[in-house]
Amino acid sequence: MESNKKYWKGLEELNNTPEFVESNKHEFAEPIPIEDILSGKGLEGRTPRRDFLKTLGFGIGAVSLAACQKAPVHKSIPYLIKPEEVTPGVANFYVSSYNGHAILVKTREGRPIKIEGNPGDVLGKGGVDAQVQASILDLYNATRLKGPLQDNGDTSWTEVDNFVRAELAAIQASGKKIRIVTSTVNSPSTQGVINDFIAAYPGAKHINYDAVSFTGIIQANQNSFGKAVLPRYHFERADVIASFGADFLGPWISQAEHMRQYVSNRSHEALEGKKMSRHIQFESRMSLTGSNADTRVTIKPSEEGVALINLYNAISGTTLPGSKQLSNKAAQTAVTLAAKELVAAKGRALVVAGSNDVAVQVLVNAINSLLGSYGTTIDLDNPSYQYKGNDAEMVDFVNEMKRGEVGAVFFLKANPVYNYYQSSAFVDALKKVRLKVSFADYNDETAAECNIVAPNSHYLESWGDENAVEGYYTLIQPTINTVYDTRQAEQSLLIWGNNPVKDYYTYVRNTWNTKLLPLGGLAGQGGWETLMQTGFVKAADKPAGTYTFSRDLNAVAQTILSQSSKATGGNDKLELQVYESNTVRDGKHANNPWLQELPDPVSKVTWDNYVAISPKTAKEMNLEEGDLVEVSNELYKAELPILFQPGQAQNTIAIAVGYGRTKSGKVGDGVGKNAFPFVSLANGTFQGNSVASIKALGGDKIILAQTQTHHSYEGRNVIRETTLKEYLKNPEEATGKGEEHKTYSLWDEYDRPQYDWVMAIDLNACTGCGACVVACNVENNIPVVGRDEVRRRREMHWIRIDRYYSFNEGSEVVTREKEIDKLENIDDVSVVFQPMLCQHCDHAPCETVCPVLATTHSSEGLNQMTYNRCVGTRYCANNCPYKVRRFNWFNYWNDSRFENYLQNDYTELVLNPDVTTRFRGVMEKCTMCVQRIQAGKLKAKIEKRPLQDGEIKVACQQTCPANAIIFGNKNDKNSEVYKALQSERTYYVLEELNVKPGIGYQAKVRNRTEQEA
Amino acid sequence: MASHSEAIIREPLITGKNITYAQITNEVLAPVENKPNLAWWIGFGLASMGASIWLFCISWTFWFGVGEWGLNKTVGWAWDITGFVWWVGIGHAGTLISAVLLLFRQNWRNSINRSAEAMTIFAVVCAATYIFGHMGRPWLAYWTLPLPNQYVLWVDWNSALMMDVFAISTYFSVSLVFWYTGLLPDIASIRDRATGLRRRIYSILSFGWTGSVKTWQRFETVSLILAGISTPLVLSVHTIVSFDFATSLEPGWHTTIFPPYFVAGAIFSGFAMVQTLLLIVRKVLGLENYITMFHIESMNKIILLTGSIVGVAYITEFFIAWYSGVEYEQYAFINRSTGPYWWAYWSMMTCNVITPQLFWSSKIRTNIQLSWVLSIIVNIGMWFERFVIIVTSLHRDFLPSSWVMFYPTWVDVGIFVGSIGLFFTMFLLFLRVLPSVAMAEVKLLVKTASEQSKKKLLDTNHLDPEQAKYYKESLEKYDSVDLTQYQKA
Repeated sequence: MESNKKYWKGLEELNNTPEFVESNKHEFAEPIPIEDILSGKGLEGRTPRRDFLKTLGFGIGAVSLAACQKAPVHKSIPYLIKPEEVTPGVANFYVSSYNGHAILVKTREGRPIKIEGNPGDVLGKGGVDAQVQASILDLYNATRLKGPLQDNGDTSWTEVDNFVRAELAAIQASGKKIRIVTSTVNSPSTQGVINDFIAAYPGAKHINYDAVSFTGIIQANQNSFGKAVLPRYHFERADVIASFGADFLGPWISQAEHMRQYVSNRSHEALEGKKMSRHIQFESRMSLTGSNADTRVTIKPSEEGVALINLYNAISGTTLPGSKQLSNKAAQTAVTLAAKELVAAKGRALVVAGSNDVAVQVLVNAINSLLGSYGTTIDLDNPSYQYKGNDAEMVDFVNEMKRGEVGAVFFLKANPVYNYYQSSAFVDALKKVRLKVSFADYNDETAAECNIVAPNSHYLESWGDENAVEGYYTLIQPTINTVYDTRQAEQSLLIWGNNPVKDYYTYVRNTWNTKLLPLGGLAGQGGWETLMQTGFVKAADKPAGTYTFSRDLNAVAQTILSQSSKATGGNDKLELQVYESNTVRDGKHANNPWLQELPDPVSKVTWDNYVAISPKTAKEMNLEEGDLVEVSNELYKAELPILFQPGQAQNTIAIAVGYGRTKSGKVGDGVGKNAFPFVSLANGTFQGNSVASIKALGGDKIILAQTQTHHSYEGRNVIRETTLKEYLKNPEEATGKGEEHKTYSLWDEYDRPQYDWVMAIDLNACTGCGACVVACNVENNIPVVGRDEVRRRREMHWIRIDRYYSFNEGSEVVTREKEIDKLENIDDVSVVFQPMLCQHCDHAPCETVCPVLATTHSSEGLNQMTYNRCVGTRYCANNCPYKVRRFNWFNYWNDSRFENYLQNDYTELVLNPDVTTRFRGVMEKCTMCVQRIQAGKLKAKIEKRPLQDGEIKVACQQTCPANAIIFGNKNDKNSEVYKALQSERTYYVLEELNVKPGIGYQAKVRNRTEQEA
Repeated sequence: MASHSEAIIREPLITGKNITYAQITNEVLAPVENKPNLAWWIGFGLASMGASIWLFCISWTFWFGVGEWGLNKTVGWAWDITGFVWWVGIGHAGTLISAVLLLFRQNWRNSINRSAEAMTIFAVVCAATYIFGHMGRPWLAYWTLPLPNQYVLWVDWNSALMMDVFAISTYFSVSLVFWYTGLLPDIASIRDRATGLRRRIYSILSFGWTGSVKTWQRFETVSLILAGISTPLVLSVHTIVSFDFATSLEPGWHTTIFPPYFVAGAIFSGFAMVQTLLLIVRKVLGLENYITMFHIESMNKIILLTGSIVGVAYITEFFIAWYSGVEYEQYAFINRSTGPYWWAYWSMMTCNVITPQLFWSSKIRTNIQLSWVLSIIVNIGMWFERFVIIVTSLHRDFLPSSWVMFYPTWVDVGIFVGSIGLFFTMFLLFLRVLPSVAMAEVKLLVKTASEQSKKKLLDTNHLDPEQAKYYKESLEKYDSVDLTQYQKA
């Protein structure tokens, strides 16, 4: 509809005056002085002072205001095209392999953040040791090389390839030798590549070199049975185990596997069957294994062989020529008793020795043969390939270098400049080699002496495989692209050896397709894809044959005896034994802050090595704990602090290798002293026993960074232990369960309608190894605080393993410090380990005292810590009877004093995005991996099904090779944890306080016999 | 207030001849109205140096974190809460003197209550610095207040620390109001004598005090009401502070004896601190006539009494630990006396229980130098008491695996020493700007309880000679009485 109405905008328009008509023609009612300004006059016009000041004021004000708001730069880069398998916030797991274990690698948004054991792993059955757990951090090691080096300067791979190939050709033409020195290679593909390389350069040879080697056992088996292998031991089949210095629950061959086997015959399953293995340990130092033994007898290192001769005599009923009694009467009796027990358990007995001496191991073979161990507890037909090192070959190689015969050497995962027993001789000899190539992924001691460093990729960036034991092949697959310009050593060798296969991935595929997949009944692409899901193939075990020892032992006994008399300390001489560190091992983990801060399971020392000495010997020598002493044997001397170690044999000392690195990186450099040069070469193998003397240096005492400084449990019933005999008589009374008391409560009961998360920890299963501590560190982003802060007793570990010594005097067990000080004989030490973490008390003392309710109880029985609400009064920590709460004394994530550990931008990529890092001034503690609980519940909810028992595993539980920790829902009467808590061995630490802890412990049972009591 | 004469057998509370109201005002206000003397400057120099140390150390702590202290995973409180309880305890004497003694009509309090109350306030300020200082995140200290917020977050009324927040803040505010109310007539006196800007300032501060009868009457009423409010605080504040320990589970803390024992200890240490301060103030400011030997002796008697109560408490604790049959409790006490911190325990026992017993001797009670030394010893002993309770209980509790030693760092020491500097800085400034003796209240005593009024009474010769003799003998201990005039008579 058309409107005729006309609207006027003002009276001017209505009147339509001429002025209006005129002005309406222009866009602007008033003329704009634009022309004036742009003409010369306008530009010259002076700005009045006031206008200038106004403008200036406004300008400065506006700019300042704008500058006040510091716009934060958030670099979040969304996926332009989202990879199908990556969903932010959802973890992916990939199978891989490390140290022979089949593992699962958890990745988030494309970066690996956690390692778990593959439940199908033949060695650990899902359990892995601390080193495997910590290996993830090596990927994020800030000191890794960013690319290849030539003469310590940056270079490119093309130049390296050209240089190395030219050099190799020249060396090959000159007729000089080429050597490839590696730590044990058990990977079929790597071995294939090396073999191909050797084929291409016929002057080449591959040398397996282990810093801590097992040549003695391998040679002994060659001598005894014609099989140069490291056998696979079956501790689970042994009812009586006698170990002579073998730390088989520690670094000896295969820790997680041995733990699993050993504990299966001692933990609740075994005890329910009213039986338990018996373990007798003869040793000079207090090893992790010795600390778990039922009976532990101290002997000097020089007498290990003599003790074995006596054992042989007692078992065989013969007397080897030259046999002599042990200097320690009690030990002599113990050997005789052990012989009786071993013979009684024939076919179910096992004797192992830690010595690397061929003669000693031959004697052990003879004993085991008499005990019928071959085919039962020892398997020579399905041997272990975890260590293949040949000491004699390594020594030969050094001599070749000295003679100038070697033209080229390649070092793969071997660092002899640090860990060869004659390091300086090695360095001098190495100077005579024309081409020295290291594949080290950081510029380590050996790499620094090489002309080429061709950095290897981390195993999480690599393809490969491993073959830890016969018939068991595990796959290594990359979980992240190479972060830096690194290249797998195998790839380099393929290129330098002009291999027809150009690429190592193809090489690995070929190995699997042709050799390995068929062993698992797999084939082709489908088989490969199955392998990518399962991670390993396992061929059926070959039948373990029985072997009978039939060689003459006279010469062996003579060698042992002459060795022993050489190694016997005379007056004011001590016997020194060097051993592999429980945490940093042979030093290859020295730059890993998690492992440096992991306390030694027995001494609880972090960040250092030390001279372990018996308090009694030390007193005789006027030494005090922490005194700096100079230890010297005929080869070497080192300055180290004294540690009083109960259970160390009198007049002996022990020092760990693996410390004193000089080029490991910021974390490991200068931690402790190198003990490898104490090692000597005897009878063709590297041996750690020698005669040494100690000289006090005076000066300030060195305070070792120990996480525990009081070592006895003072008769308190926080630890409950009994003997197998007592336990079988009356399980309940033996573990301290008295009559029920009526308890009263001030507080209302919490309602836990659905879940009540609790834990059961079996003290008879826990060996104290510390894998759980590292697993917890990785899972929960626990800061590393360094040596000084541990000295101040501020380590942040949410789970710790309390270790208590008690002393046996006759049938009495002495646990009180003041009584221990009065004891004459302090050699008979028993050790108990107790994992301690937040007990999630139902009547939590921490909850009632927090003024701001930062710690509260959940409806699922968890004691929760709300970091954001915490103001940091520390009242909760004071009131915690278990002292498991940890306070953030500093801002560990942004304080320059801690920058070497986890603060690097790159290193921080290892953090678990499901767990927040905690700010300074905030309390923290075990959450029972609440993020895992939530994830598990969510998964069940999405799948519309109830949560199943065992579906959620907390980090410490998941990694424990001994299955000492069971976690679950107490409301579910069928759950594992509920059943475990019904055990008559179950008790609650400090239950008399009525704090109602959520973690039940199963009392320790020792299989001690009457005779020794 | 009573205009009739006080009994002659009561010892004089003001000594000196011909004391007039004006003279009192002149003498008390001398430091306020004149330039400070050298002694003050030296004292202030030292004190402010201490305060600077405090400022530096507390800033250091705030910047880097509580980790700069010697605390660890087992000992979560040490010098911080020791210092806190020590300072709060010291404050108690002020309240006791100003409130309880007022209600009991103990006129001798009139000369000392002002300084004692000032001491209370400054001590509570020092204590409060520890409350903030010991927090991991002190910038969130206000979260301990029940402030309504949209997150519906609330505080935990079960927590003794929560009660502490209220106990301390109530204590501080009531003490401050009480102190200031008492100051009003004296500020008015300063105002009346001042000129220029000073007059304006003191005029504002005096809240328009007119000095009328009505004003005085209201003043008296308010004082009484505030005394009534303060009196329970004397008992409640340290009771609640003791709850921090008593309501916990820690062996050595978990004891029901703590409330009375803490209150007695607080009064004990408070009087010792008053003694420490006033013995010097009286000498330096020439206030011997107002703070007399009678005052000193009275305070020493209170120290003796409370010291003995504390001693009984220590022994009771020990007995109960044995009698309870609780292993952990027994160990805690054995460990206190024979463990690695035995020296702290025996320092405490010596300083708090043994040396105060010297005050049974009247010679020592009336010896100024010894009184001063003993007052310092008591303060040292009371610091050790809190250290013993806190550190030796925590360092070895239930699980031996967690047993540790505590070693203080330079920051711990700096904050404690610095807090003493802070305290004295405030106290010395107080002496310069406000009268250190409650002039108005002292003036009340001139006509009744002063030496000159009693002399007048003696001169009338209407007294029982035995009583007069007794009175004269009692004067012998006074260092501010000219005895020659009595011998003549």
